[in-house]
Amino acid sequence: MGKTIVEAKDICLTYHEINGETQAVDHLSFSVAKGEFVSIVGPSGCGKTSVLSMLAGLLEPSAGELHLEGGRPGYMLQRDHLLDWRTIEGNILLGLQVQGRLNAQTRENALSLLKTYGLYDFVHSYPRQLSGGMRQKVALIRTLACSPDLLLLDEPFSALDYQTRLTLADEIHAILRKEGKTAILVTHDIAEAISMSDRVLVFSGRPARLKGEHAIHLTAPDSPLKRRNAPEFKEYFDTIWKELDKNV
Amino acid sequence: MSEEKKVPAYSQEHRAYLNSLRRKDRFVTAMRYLLLVACLLIWEVAARLNWIDPFIGSSPARLTAAILRLYQSGELWLHIGITLYETVVGFLLGTLLGTLVAILLWWSPTLSRILDPYLVILNALPKIALGPILIVWFGAGVESIIVMGLLISLVVTIMSVLAGFNAITGEKQLLMRTLGASKLQIFTMVVLPASVPTIMNALKISVGMSWVGVIVGEYLVSKAGLGYLIVYGGQVFNLDLVMASIVILCLLAAIMYYAVAYLEKGICQRMGI
Repeated sequence: MGKTIVEAKDICLTYHEINGETQAVDHLSFSVAKGEFVSIVGPSGCGKTSVLSMLAGLLEPSAGELHLEGGRPGYMLQRDHLLDWRTIEGNILLGLQVQGRLNAQTRENALSLLKTYGLYDFVHSYPRQLSGGMRQKVALIRTLACSPDLLLLDEPFSALDYQTRLTLADEIHAILRKEGKTAILVTHDIAEAISMSDRVLVFSGRPARLKGEHAIHLTAPDSPLKRRNAPEFKEYFDTIWKELDKNV
Repeated sequence: MSEEKKVPAYSQEHRAYLNSLRRKDRFVTAMRYLLLVACLLIWEVAARLNWIDPFIGSSPARLTAAILRLYQSGELWLHIGITLYETVVGFLLGTLLGTLVAILLWWSPTLSRILDPYLVILNALPKIALGPILIVWFGAGVESIIVMGLLISLVVTIMSVLAGFNAITGEKQLLMRTLGASKLQIFTMVVLPASVPTIMNALKISVGMSWVGVIVGEYLVSKAGLGYLIVYGGQVFNLDLVMASIVILCLLAAIMYYAVAYLEKGICQRMGI
């Protein structure tokens, strides 16, 4: 793997509300290398999303050091949030437009992503004409159009039905590998995490601490769907399951 | 065009179902006209047979004659024109000002919190009570009436448009922030277009409010307009004139409402929502 592009050292995060304060993240340290696919699993409400928000620069850590190489990371949310009044083209150009980087070349690049990933026929369609899986793919292309080095995926499959979810995970994994992107995926689905990642980080319940770290080596082709059938898959699953279970 | 292309072969059962729907539609439309004609007929007959005193109850025939007299004397368009002008200007100014204030309050939640009780009180205040003040400030003329039409729709516009802005989900704004958008970009690219349907709904309400404001304004102070005709007709006991003005008012208010609704449909279609 290449050089480190994300480095978190002892980061803490505390939320302040009128009824008191909540510690969401407690002395968390981890790093991610360029080109790596890392998943974060943990019990719900453990502060996984808070960690992504800090990586995206939406929240400042209360303490600790957070270092990011490259420009603004791309962020993918649970729902696609495509803008209903913009065509697919208008939607994938949104990020470039916001950042004032829309020109002939970046636009061409965004449209070629649509072509490569089989959505070019819908370039002038509106989001409501697309299925849930297609919409989420458009959301990914909107993120990729800004050519980020790092992608933050916040449970991007959880709003989809099971079948779409498996197929889309496979497709998106292939896209990210092909584009050579580094990705951090937050999920509560252990199988999804193992099937997609090079490494899985296990967080404890709130406040989030690093509980375990598992490098995933599967004797299977590099496709989440096929990786699910690898002989070692169940072992990883059981280990991570037990690690999460101790919390309860 | 697309309807011509595909005329699918429906089953007989489905055709029967479609026919029954169409029959129902025709029935509803027919009943609407019938109700109107029946009311007019009964009214006319009641007046002719002196069941009601036509002097105070008027009748469709007398009412038509009154409109005709106004038309022949050339006054009809003058009165319609003035009232329409006051309403349209009051409505547009109220909408513009209301939307601007709503934008300001969305922009600064602190300001919104500070002004909240004032808005609530202004909303509860019967704006008609301000009539005498308006006359002193803006003079006994068209200006006072326009301000009345504006005031009566202003607070409602502010409140409903602001509620529309605030209803735009935080997650869409979060998405914009992850893309690095400024607050102005979030507003112009997401919040404003997403609230267009709410704003249009607010307009449909405030167009009715503007009519109320203008007619009340004309009651208080005016030399022409439909509100003036109504008051004048009442004072000289010319109920035909009063009823005729009200009928014209009904038609105008309906036309303006449908104009706004038509505008809404056009805008929403252009935006693809």
